Amino acid sequence: MEVKGCRELFEEVINAGLCTYCGACASGCPYLVSYKGRIVLLDNCDISKGQCYQYCPRTHTDLDTISQQVFGADYSEDGLGTVKEVLIARSTDLHIRERAQYGGVVTTLMSLALEEGFIDSAILAKMSSDKIPSAFLARNKEGILQCAGSNYMACSTLDALNRIAKDSKDKLGIVAMPCQVLSISKMKEDPPLNRMNIGNVSLVIGLFCTWALCRDTFQRFLRENVDLMQVIKFDIPPPPANKFDVYSNSGKISLPLDTIREFIMPTCSYCLDMTAEFADISVGSVEGIEGWNTVLIRTDVGVGLMERAKAKKKLEIGQLPSQNLAHLKEAALLKKKRALKEITKKTGDKKKLLYLGMSESIVDRLLVERSKV
Amino acid sequence: MASIELDASGTTQLLLGNEAIARGALEAGIGFAASYPGTPASEIMDTLASIAKRMGIHAEWSVNEKVALEAAAGASFAGIRAIASMKQNGINVASDFLINLTMTGIGKGLILVVADDPGAISSSNEQDSRNICKWMDIPLLEPSNAQEAKDMTKWAFELSEELDTICIIRSVNRVGHTRGNVKLGELPKREQRAYFPNIWNMFEPKLSKFAAGPFPWLHNMLHQKLAKAQQRFESAPFNWYMGPDKAELLIITSGASTACCTEAVKELKLDHKVGIFKLGTTWPIPENLVRKQLSSSQRVLFVEEVDPFIERSVMELAANLPTDSTRLIFYGKRSGHIPSSGELHPDVIINIIAGLMGITYQARDITYEKKAKELSMIIPGRALNLCPGCPHRATFWAVKNALQLDGRDGFVCGDIGCYSLGFAAGGYYQLRTMHAMGSGIGVANGLGNLSKFGFEQPVIAMVGDSTFLHAAIPALINGVYNKSSFILLILDNNATAMTGFQPHPGTGMTATGVPTFHIDIEALCRSLGAHVEVCDPFDLKNTTTTLLRLMAEEGGAKVVIMRRECEMVRAKREKRFPYVVHVDPDICIGEACGCNRVCTRAFQCPGLIYDQEARKATIDEAVCTGCGLCVDICPHGAIIKKVVET
Repeated sequence: MEVKGCRELFEEVINAGLCTYCGACASGCPYLVSYKGRIVLLDNCDISKGQCYQYCPRTHTDLDTISQQVFGADYSEDGLGTVKEVLIARSTDLHIRERAQYGGVVTTLMSLALEEGFIDSAILAKMSSDKIPSAFLARNKEGILQCAGSNYMACSTLDALNRIAKDSKDKLGIVAMPCQVLSISKMKEDPPLNRMNIGNVSLVIGLFCTWALCRDTFQRFLRENVDLMQVIKFDIPPPPANKFDVYSNSGKISLPLDTIREFIMPTCSYCLDMTAEFADISVGSVEGIEGWNTVLIRTDVGVGLMERAKAKKKLEIGQLPSQNLAHLKEAALLKKKRALKEITKKTGDKKKLLYLGMSESIVDRLLVERSKV
Repeated sequence: MASIELDASGTTQLLLGNEAIARGALEAGIGFAASYPGTPASEIMDTLASIAKRMGIHAEWSVNEKVALEAAAGASFAGIRAIASMKQNGINVASDFLINLTMTGIGKGLILVVADDPGAISSSNEQDSRNICKWMDIPLLEPSNAQEAKDMTKWAFELSEELDTICIIRSVNRVGHTRGNVKLGELPKREQRAYFPNIWNMFEPKLSKFAAGPFPWLHNMLHQKLAKAQQRFESAPFNWYMGPDKAELLIITSGASTACCTEAVKELKLDHKVGIFKLGTTWPIPENLVRKQLSSSQRVLFVEEVDPFIERSVMELAANLPTDSTRLIFYGKRSGHIPSSGELHPDVIINIIAGLMGITYQARDITYEKKAKELSMIIPGRALNLCPGCPHRATFWAVKNALQLDGRDGFVCGDIGCYSLGFAAGGYYQLRTMHAMGSGIGVANGLGNLSKFGFEQPVIAMVGDSTFLHAAIPALINGVYNKSSFILLILDNNATAMTGFQPHPGTGMTATGVPTFHIDIEALCRSLGAHVEVCDPFDLKNTTTTLLRLMAEEGGAKVVIMRRECEMVRAKREKRFPYVVHVDPDICIGEACGCNRVCTRAFQCPGLIYDQEARKATIDEAVCTGCGLCVDICPHGAIIKKVVET
């Protein structure tokens, strides 16, 4: 890939509406910071090849190269990416389940990784009391638990990664959105200089994502409609509910999902990845089975951690019904198709795919399969 | 350096032009001097203040130029000779009083010295203040060197009293800031007693002389004074001619250009062909003298800086010459021969004269010029920048970051002071407007009241402590009163730093070093109804978050006092550095991604240099003042500070 500088990062990504607010470009230098939902340039930087540009998940990314790095194989065009095992699970810890979005698998696995010494600390997104998400470095189980629950808002979690001292030997776990997982994979493929040692990232748990909301505008909207200090949890129940539920101390408020959609980050329409395809383990909800998580185990690290979870009875495991799996794949493929359509609409050229480095044959197949759905 | 209080009449001393003016005032027996600092006028008061106690005069740094002139006028009304001095911008501030003063006349001699800055070397404009004299009917004198500066000042006091009007002495950079031999005169030794002639009779009340009223006859009286001034100017010792009786070219010049013309004619060896007519009294012009001189040549070249002031007066005069007179050819700004702006140097004038006289001139051979240019390349380039350790740099850094983080295209309305450098790279180009003293907050008043037009950009006004007291207080009152929304940053460095660290009402010290009441800027702003906070600009994080918070909050006029003493003042007093600072080359990553020389390329403190060979930042020990701020700028902790043991 051609690495460019931060001027081009702004031209091609940030000002072009492609920024995912992942945080990969922020805090790695004195110039770029993430602030209240925006990537801010504090000063001119004239470096022609910058890591800000290099690790951005919306600058050129060759999926085969990344896939080779993570899985030792070319990019899988199967809707869910490379998967070793699919299952459903929920935490055996009631305390976690109570706090968690669904089955508490992410919290449980991260806590276990810490307990087992797989990692020394974990980077997660944590909501403030007024429900503003920000990156958090958890060093213990309690810290991880505080980060349980979904907020549906983009959070620049990766800038916490960039803030870690470069001589730190701590092994890290990270809970990341698909775009963030992609960025971490880019970092692992060509490790950063003068930043933290990316080799220390020992566990990446990816979250399923259809889109994320723009932090700033959505916050403003929420503040006008609910008392955020009273909010306990947000949830988007599976279709056909078509609503955004806000659980608060005074009860549940349902907002029409279409209203919420107005706050979706524009970049999400160009994203092909619903299931965080380059993570060690990807976790999401299960349609129709409340209180459980869908779990995709992708790497040996993921397998190993799941083995420990089973052995230590941290998780209750079940099988994902084949109908659910089919539906999940279908949804994942649909996201890819939609994104490719949006991308080609933006560029006006089927060969120009913005950030995507993907073989033409895969693109063709993905677009053709549209007719089946 | 010679002291201007030397009681040694007849001896010759080397004096700065501005010192010579001060000496002239002493020889004239002044009892009162007032000024506001401003280059190139500051040394007049600096000098007078330094000897005021011993000489038994009152010398003050006034809060602004208008007050300075008013105070001096007050002394004059009470029978004490007085002088007010200021730079060209200052006379505009004083102008409202000045025009009314010309209506009432004065008591004892009253002189206003205005120091112009052709080329705008230390100013935001190069106003030619001579025009004010024409506009306001004020007799005008222009010294051309230090001796004349002294003599003219003394002479002007006599004239002022004779005419019963204020007279103006217009100096320029190259006169006030040039040293020259000055033959001293007598210092008067007399007791002065002040008394305001408030003599009126309860039975026959009459108007005071010192009250300008709606009386056009006062204007007529002023014209009579001016006519008298012209008569006196016909024989004034400051106008002279040097050259042949019949000249092929007559140069008419004044002030600093006189020396340039003399040098040019000499260099061209044209003194037998070219005459120089130098005027020291330029408004009203001595018409008879000029008319007589015009008959000595058919070709006239006007050499004067900034405006064609004498040029226009003389051409006006020429238009009224008898019809049988020889037709004169004029060269000057109107004809395009003399540049319409900037300072005039001997080279410029030599080339113009050579051109008009049809001769070619080469100062040196070409190779010399080439070598000189080559040599100039090895002089290190110096950008307009703030001093090392300057608290304003910290303020600009925090402001820049806060505005970028806020992200609503907020901007700064600037003002006049050291921090004016913020319009350029040294202040990260943060000042987006800059005009006159106190204008930043004035402009902010308007910008902060545009919400009904969809204006949402945060507005910051930036002003120094001295400038705040000078002209910003009414604008702050206006902002509170008219519910404008802006943040006023008062950069309180406890000095009028740019002009030479003169004290001001916020410093607790007078011009003569006497402790005085200290104006509490914070309490003052609070009393006006503004929300006030105080920050130490060196606490970059707190300053940035304070600004962000205030920008995010609802509108209104808010004040943040950025309080940290001018580094120069601190260093002079404490005579030591707070820290010893060094760069650890093993940690510094130089221009690599992850820093890209943030300290030397972005932050730009002159105390830091980038070692191009080692590819690392280092401290320039000769320049660094050990403030330690760069420690907080370095993203990798490569800059290390150690407290200096006392």
